[in-house]
Amino acid sequence: MLRRKDKTAQATASETPFAISRRDHDARASVISVEGELDVSTAPALKWALLDSAQDGHGQLVVDLSLASFMDSTALGVLIGVQRSLGAGGGIAIVCTAPAILSVFEVSGMDGAFAIHATLEDALATISTPAAETG
Amino acid sequence: MRNERSRRLARSAAARRAVLAVVVCCACTLALSAAAGARREHERGSAAAPPAAAPPAAPVAGEQEASSPSPGEYPPATPATPAQPAPGDPRGGGGAGEASGARHAKHGARTQHDRGAAQPSEQEGAQAGAPEQPQAGGTSEEAGDAQEQASPQLAADKSGRGKHKEGSGGKHEGEKKGKGKGKGKTGETESSTGAGSGETPSGTAPKEGAAAEEPALPQVSTSLAPQLPASGPVASAASAPTPAPAAAAPAAGGLLGLGTAVSRRHAGRARSHAATRARADAPAHADPATAQARRVPSRPAASARHAPRSGARRRSAPERTSPIVRTITRIVDVVPLAVRMMIAGLFALALALALRSRVAAVRARRLDRQRAELLEDVGLLQAALLPNVPARLGPVGTSVAYQPAAGPGAGGDFYDVFALEDGQLAVIVGDVSGHGRHALPHTALVRFTLRAYLEAGLSPRDALQTAGAVLERQLGDAFATVVLATYQPRERVLVYACAGHPAPIVLGAQPGARPLPALTICTAPPIGVGMRTGTRQTAVSIPGRAQVCFHTDGVTEARVGSELFGGARLADVLAELGPDASAATLLERVAERADARPDDMAACVLAIEGEDDAPSVLVEELELDREDASSVRTERFLRACGVGREEVPEIVHSALLAAGRARTVVLEVRRGEGPAEVALRREHLSYLHAPRENVEATR
Repeated sequence: MLRRKDKTAQATASETPFAISRRDHDARASVISVEGELDVSTAPALKWALLDSAQDGHGQLVVDLSLASFMDSTALGVLIGVQRSLGAGGGIAIVCTAPAILSVFEVSGMDGAFAIHATLEDALATISTPAAETG
Repeated sequence: MRNERSRRLARSAAARRAVLAVVVCCACTLALSAAAGARREHERGSAAAPPAAAPPAAPVAGEQEASSPSPGEYPPATPATPAQPAPGDPRGGGGAGEASGARHAKHGARTQHDRGAAQPSEQEGAQAGAPEQPQAGGTSEEAGDAQEQASPQLAADKSGRGKHKEGSGGKHEGEKKGKGKGKGKTGETESSTGAGSGETPSGTAPKEGAAAEEPALPQVSTSLAPQLPASGPVASAASAPTPAPAAAAPAAGGLLGLGTAVSRRHAGRARSHAATRARADAPAHADPATAQARRVPSRPAASARHAPRSGARRRSAPERTSPIVRTITRIVDVVPLAVRMMIAGLFALALALALRSRVAAVRARRLDRQRAELLEDVGLLQAALLPNVPARLGPVGTSVAYQPAAGPGAGGDFYDVFALEDGQLAVIVGDVSGHGRHALPHTALVRFTLRAYLEAGLSPRDALQTAGAVLERQLGDAFATVVLATYQPRERVLVYACAGHPAPIVLGAQPGARPLPALTICTAPPIGVGMRTGTRQTAVSIPGRAQVCFHTDGVTEARVGSELFGGARLADVLAELGPDASAATLLERVAERADARPDDMAACVLAIEGEDDAPSVLVEELELDREDASSVRTERFLRACGVGREEVPEIVHSALLAAGRARTVVLEVRRGEGPAEVALRREHLSYLHAPRENVEATR
């Protein structure tokens, strides 16, 4: 029975393949776009993508969840952990409009911890503003 | 863990198998080498030319005999019990003979050495000969004669008995005795022959042998040829239980000894060819000797008569050794040194492996024991995190359940249900980030900290806020989501506060009842994420029968296809199960319906009895600081609580002012049948965030 369930899970996962792509916006910011489902099995990939960017000196990370179909608390935990590791100089901005994903942030009380934007442009604008000030 | 153990077991099993293989190898090598040795001996035996050696033997024997003392001192012939067949007396008469025998034996040994049987013969010969020489009496000449006479017949004997190889053992004895010629010898000879060459065809001459013993004397001295016939009467005499006259005995003994000795030699040595010279003399007697040997059992008295001497005793010891020991000794002698060393090496290896296997087995047992202890400890620890809960606390039925994830997400969930002093009931359900045993310390820390504050009388929100401030530094990189609740049975009020955790499902018992909607806006963040928590609290009135289900996100995040299981499905399951629903059956039902369960599931169900009155939200609390007060979320919260749109700006403004003065302010939204009433409260736990001196001043 368990096997059947796993198969089902795999089947659903294969319907919406998971993919992470990274695009460096500028020297300080990079955009990580997530496609598919963010759950226990894929959250580690998100974690390493974020940490790689952070190690490359990108303190401002924009996580674009526009194409993400699903996110659970594990992925949220990843975001929280990376946000803390970035420290005061950095932060994570979220681009998301899906109610299901927004509710994850809300229910967990973390909607105040991340800057959540409806569009990628908005997110990049809020990032570049302080960058311009400091620059 | 299981994997390790099985690997260990497999390893020890393999070691055992290896040891077995090595032992088998050793055994095979031994057997092979023994067989090879036997073959070699056989070949050599057939190849060697016995006649060549025969001539020189005679003189030697003669010399020795001459030098040896006379065999006068025979012990008086006394009837002895059959049990003592070992007849040491020979010395008296046959000392010389023995000596020569020894020499022969040595020669033989040297020549036969390779054949394996030589060693024993040497020893025996030496034993027999050396000590007895001094005693050897005058019979020596006789012996010499006998030998000389015998020599011609040697060939015949050989031919007659040549087929019997077994004689190797018998040969030696034969030699010894041959020289010893003491009457007592006969006994010995018999015994020894019995062991060595008993099977020989000598059976043909048993009677002759017997005859030879006593009467042999004359025969021997005269001629060997007549012996056979003469033996007949002698045999009868010998068989007679009565001891022979002392005088006659010695002489006869000497001759007999010679005869027997020679015969033996023939039986064994002659065939083996090793004993070349001496044998030649005695062949004629060979037959009688063997015959005696055979006879022994029938006439124990004769042999017994001769009191055993030291030499005899010495001789008898090796003779009595079991055939197995002798066989092994022979085999070992045959094995070449290299093979022996190899076998020794293999045995050492086998021993080492066996030892290793043994050690491994002991270690495996110890590890098993330790594992059991550890599992016990883990069980205790788990019980500390997931305690057994009484089925009933006051008027409320309680049940808890925990289902570890099938996948990689095991660990981290915890719950507790306990009674407070004032009759209240407290519930803690939480989930610490991270999984497995690494999460255990944090799980325990969070659970007991929260429990302590609840037991100290703080409200869920205050407990959460206090614990959040305290635990922030201790959780390191981990964080925890948790829901705390208290239920006051008298007032039938449930108060809960969440920190990044799903709110409990409150489901009335009315037909078609829907769960009380939980307000998720402005939910407090988890403990340990660096944010102030314990900012939200909800008070629910439960006037009638209801079920309250606390759960971890593993339940609602179970997957159904591509969707989450969700709170709505959970409420459906709860409703289906009815008032008797227990947490265990609830989780089982969820597991049945979900396609995948990536995380642990923990649940706690409170069954509150009563009438059909539906539960309702009494008060929603939100603690704000200046920043929160000005955020959009606050406005959304107020709107969601039913506050009129026009009132919101005013409330927010008031909150901002209040928060500016006292750092934080609590928005208290009382909900009832009419419009929501909003109150601002300044009582809060500001001392948690105040500088230390202020804290002291407060105290």
